[in-house]
Amino acid sequence: MSRRPSLRASLALLALVAAAGCSTKVERLDESQAVDLSGAWNDTDSRLVSQEMIQDSLSRAWLQEFKGRPGQNRPTVIVGEVRNLSHEHINTSTFTLEVERALINSGKVDFVATKGERKDIREERKDQDINAREDTRNAMGRELGADFMMTGTINTIIDPSGDTQVRFYQVNMTLISLADNRKVWVGQKDIRKLVTHSKLRF
Amino acid sequence: MAATRVPVLGAAACLAGLAGCATFTETIQSTEVSLARHQPQAALAAYKNRTPAGADRVLDLMNEGMLERMVGDFDASTRTLEQAKGAIEELRALSLREQTLSVALNDASKAFIGEDFEQVMVHTYIALNYLERGRLDPARVEALQIDLLLREKAEEAPDSPYVEDAFSRYLTGIIYEDEREWSDAMIAYRKAYEAYQNQLESFGVAIPETLKVDLIRLADRMDLAEEARGYRKTFGISEVPSEAELLERGEIILTVHAGLAPMKRERSTTVLNPNTGRFLRIALPHYRSRPQPFAYARVSVGPQAAISSRVENVDAIALKSLESEMPAITARAIARMAIKDVAASAASHSGGNSSSSNAAAGVAGLAINLAAVLTERADTRSWFTLPGEIHLARLSLPPGDYSMRVDLHGRDQEVLDSSEIKVSLHKGEKKYVSRHWIPTNLEVKP
Repeated sequence: MSRRPSLRASLALLALVAAAGCSTKVERLDESQAVDLSGAWNDTDSRLVSQEMIQDSLSRAWLQEFKGRPGQNRPTVIVGEVRNLSHEHINTSTFTLEVERALINSGKVDFVATKGERKDIREERKDQDINAREDTRNAMGRELGADFMMTGTINTIIDPSGDTQVRFYQVNMTLISLADNRKVWVGQKDIRKLVTHSKLRF
Repeated sequence: MAATRVPVLGAAACLAGLAGCATFTETIQSTEVSLARHQPQAALAAYKNRTPAGADRVLDLMNEGMLERMVGDFDASTRTLEQAKGAIEELRALSLREQTLSVALNDASKAFIGEDFEQVMVHTYIALNYLERGRLDPARVEALQIDLLLREKAEEAPDSPYVEDAFSRYLTGIIYEDEREWSDAMIAYRKAYEAYQNQLESFGVAIPETLKVDLIRLADRMDLAEEARGYRKTFGISEVPSEAELLERGEIILTVHAGLAPMKRERSTTVLNPNTGRFLRIALPHYRSRPQPFAYARVSVGPQAAISSRVENVDAIALKSLESEMPAITARAIARMAIKDVAASAASHSGGNSSSSNAAAGVAGLAINLAAVLTERADTRSWFTLPGEIHLARLSLPPGDYSMRVDLHGRDQEVLDSSEIKVSLHKGEKKYVSRHWIPTNLEVKP
């Protein structure tokens, strides 16, 4: 008879442990901490590649050459399309924003709004023309034109064998002079990952 | 001894309770009724109203994704099918718990991850969703994933009848060609051509007329003169519009998804073993084909028209895939029957010397035997909302705004359905449109 209560208690404890195992658990992570779960392209890849690309880009000859031109101080840059040609659905806008942030924060270049953003801003100016006080209006036709456009591609090669895959990511970025279509800088960053899938699960 | 038999009886009762569960096929009847009435929204609601089984998550996502597509909500369909893709990836690893359950109960207690062709179809339909939403680059991602998955499947089971998916290869070729990636498009078209040739006997799909033209055009574009000559001779086609001419015009690519994939049914046998007095039961799945009155589609804009070709016979692929797996399924069912019988035998012989304990053991043995018989159900889960067949037509037109007519014809040339679709085409642009059509009679063939 004395064993029954202890059995019930054990079962209750087991149920509690099982329930605890099923509850959602959230742990806040430092944004610089790399966490690889599936092996797919993630925020760490996006951040590292954009930082390295921009550091490389800003240390190259095109910047000095531009500054050396008469009447020029800082080049104006716009980020164009970064095409995802990889095996994964990658949110390229996150990567593009990382690139923009790194470029703006370097203080070495001016940055202009993207095509979509410009459309909204122009509409706002039109609205100002009608509704804003005259001394606060911003006139049309005074936009800063970009000197260079940065475009890029993300490519992958995947070599699978059973439960293991080697994932090779190659990010190519190109800076093109809008005045004469010259490619003034080409950057490349490679990432290789070995991904092993578990053979067993619960 | 009697006390130890109480849990045995309890377990047997639990198993018997589980046996009360209907097979998957029995739970989808209201969804099928709505589909036959051409009410995909009601079909989606009916499907979502079912009590979801944990092991069927991937199956539910596949069916919901397809029903959302039929409703015309391509973005929701993509999201749902993406979830299915992720869940398949998670469930590919072996679960010892599920393996044990499948031996104790039946194959349907294992998590469903779909047959190889169903897994490939997840990618194919995501790609079609993206194409119809005008998003070519994400469709290209799916094309790469299809290639990767088919390579993996070919490595795992090189002798499987479904070692390639001709239509999925063909679709990836169309995507690459739309991306102006000529060499990748050529490779994909060649792979599709080889697959149609190799699988003609198994799946009965002849090389689509559109693919013949595509192969010649791409071979010309890539200056593969010898190869182009070979295709012209083999197909008996002399003139095809060049890639440059095609790029001056726009193109409509229509896919028709006709009927429903075959339905899995259970075939079972229960016999009484006269030597032991215990029941033995074996339950195996088999496919029953659905009616397919659809024959071809005609897409027309004024006098310009194109006739569709059949590009995928899902019905035949499903039947052949199951056929190749039947030896393993049957072996598992026989082993399960033997294990369950041994368990019932052990319980009925667990009595002591007294007549009361012998009687109790007999009851326990009978209970286990009954539970074993009742839980023996075939795994009839399948992606039943897949079409029975897929057809494709390509119509090249000068840039402009059009009201395009799509006529779906039956086997006796009769028009099953007609619709008008407004399309705006730019120079060099491809527009992807689709129609899902399901016959009102979904009775399976005897």
